[in-house]
Amino acid sequence: MNALTKHMHPGWLIIAPLLALVTLLYLGPILNILWLSVTDPEPGLGNYAKLGESDALLRIVWTTVRICIITTLFSVTLGYSIAYAMVHCHQRQKSYMLTLLLVSFWISILVRTFSWLMLLGRKGLVNVTLEDIGLIAEPIAFMRNELGVLIGMIHYMIPYAVLPLLVSMQSLDTRVMDASRNLGASGSQTFWRIYLPLTTPGLVASTLLVFILSLGFYVTPAVLGGGKVLMVAEYISVQLLVTLKWGTAAMLAALMLFGVLAMLWVMSRFMKLSTVFGGAAR
Amino acid sequence: MQDKQFMKEMLTDSAHAYKAGRMDRRMFLALCGASGVAMSSVMAGDAQAAADHVVMWNWGGQSEECHGSAIGDAFTAETGKGLKFDTSGPLEGKIKEMVDSGNVTADVADADLFNAVSLGPTGHLEPIDYSVVSKDKTLPGYALEHGVSVILYGYAFVYDTEVYGDNPPQNWADFFDTEKFPGMRSLYKWANGSLEAALLADGVSGDALYPLDMDRALAKLKSIKDDSLYWGSGSEAHSMVVNGEVSMGMVWQNRGRNIENDTDGRYKLVNMQAIAMPGAYIVPKGNPAGAAVMEFIATAQEVPAQLALLDCLGMTPSNPEAFGQIPEDQQDYAITSAKNIDKIVYNDPDWWGKNGGDAVNAFLEAIS
Repeated sequence: MNALTKHMHPGWLIIAPLLALVTLLYLGPILNILWLSVTDPEPGLGNYAKLGESDALLRIVWTTVRICIITTLFSVTLGYSIAYAMVHCHQRQKSYMLTLLLVSFWISILVRTFSWLMLLGRKGLVNVTLEDIGLIAEPIAFMRNELGVLIGMIHYMIPYAVLPLLVSMQSLDTRVMDASRNLGASGSQTFWRIYLPLTTPGLVASTLLVFILSLGFYVTPAVLGGGKVLMVAEYISVQLLVTLKWGTAAMLAALMLFGVLAMLWVMSRFMKLSTVFGGAAR
Repeated sequence: MQDKQFMKEMLTDSAHAYKAGRMDRRMFLALCGASGVAMSSVMAGDAQAAADHVVMWNWGGQSEECHGSAIGDAFTAETGKGLKFDTSGPLEGKIKEMVDSGNVTADVADADLFNAVSLGPTGHLEPIDYSVVSKDKTLPGYALEHGVSVILYGYAFVYDTEVYGDNPPQNWADFFDTEKFPGMRSLYKWANGSLEAALLADGVSGDALYPLDMDRALAKLKSIKDDSLYWGSGSEAHSMVVNGEVSMGMVWQNRGRNIENDTDGRYKLVNMQAIAMPGAYIVPKGNPAGAAVMEFIATAQEVPAQLALLDCLGMTPSNPEAFGQIPEDQQDYAITSAKNIDKIVYNDPDWWGKNGGDAVNAFLEAIS
């Protein structure tokens, strides 16, 4: 016992059962999925081989990745300017902005998705108004296509992008920027060479968060895509519930999981990921 | 096994407490989450079938009320047994999962007849007991070993009378002709009905549809891809039409009357070449109420239940005895009414049961 406590903090003993339980509850299902992906319908790598054989699967994966990249790009860029504005405005305005942000954060994804249909649909508020004032003859196809999916997803993701950035910007030591100006750097020089690099951990955190969450989007593409924008999450659900190709579903799920893990690994080559998740940079 | 039983009892108790307001939703969900059980199955566990009632697994919404009044009341009067519901929607994957998990909580699923063809041979369904259920009270070919068609629904279409008022579209060929009839279309996202409609539009006759010529159907569908949207649920189909997103929309025919009413008659239902789908009752293997469920299915086949379902849900009778008794004001909307029965085309559950999975995937790949 003595030898053990020498190497291990006794606190670990207290949380060990919980840790074991959580590990079990997470690993069990994940291993089950991995197992399914190499055993259903028959043992072997047949499900993974399908990726090479079928253009359709690759196209679905590519659609998903493409939409996620664009979503991430826009959400993080917009999120960065929102967070920047929030940090630099008066306290009063800041609380207004935070309230609005959180309100939209809390509203259900279904409500937000259908609101876009009402606003930008074929007979939506925007199209009807534009037609009435004679600016357009035919309604603009904002919704029920990839553009619609992107609008819906970016809108949904912005709060997720803002919050990590806000935390990162608030914890900056503003005297560093003052020093930079004092030493003769212009405003934009200070931003690009001091401010932006200092907020990189927040930027990476929000990029990762938005990208990974986007990968699993289901409702928004299904509704706003008009059935023609098929992303992995919806495809997996169809394979599970309708076509009973659980092996294919498990394979795609495993692919997403390893894709995310690989992305984290690549990131970790370039930077200390612990700083992204709030740890101290050492 | 004992743990599972304990977990189930605890959750059933908490479901009661939650419903009675003694437990808040957050706590209840946390308990569900902690035990790895989905809400729906807990609710089903709450309604867990014992000997005194039968649990029907349907799609919720209006159907809960309608199945209760149309079949449940008569069933209770006859047998003294009650009817409870699990409204989470018996998709094929969910039935398979329920049976595989060994925790079967539903007695009868309001499903499609092709589910009986795909899930029967794999041992996920109980065979229908035809000494209780009647083979004569459904259409020929729709009483199968593991499922019997109790109602019919259909794929028909509605069109905008303001756009095509003078020269209305007559059939699927017009539906797929975007030159003669310009405008957006909507079709069912999971292939069923959409493939048949495409082939009918391409000139295949109704009795020569099966086996479906997939390449031909997909080519026809792709020809209107830019002018088409796809819906995944009845309500989505409904809203695409009612919100004016499409000028012609494929719908489940039982929605036709509601759409005509909701748009003050602006959209009109066309039943020509409507594709009749056998909606079937199937019984998950090892269902809790056992053989009692067969009496329930037999009750649903009776003429009064059939007519009540038509009145309440718009589901068309499959019992030929009821065809002649369809009331006048329902004639236009029931696909087996004297007005429509000669126009319709019948779905082949056998083909769909055996080829449905691949067909759905090929379809999704073609439209995405």
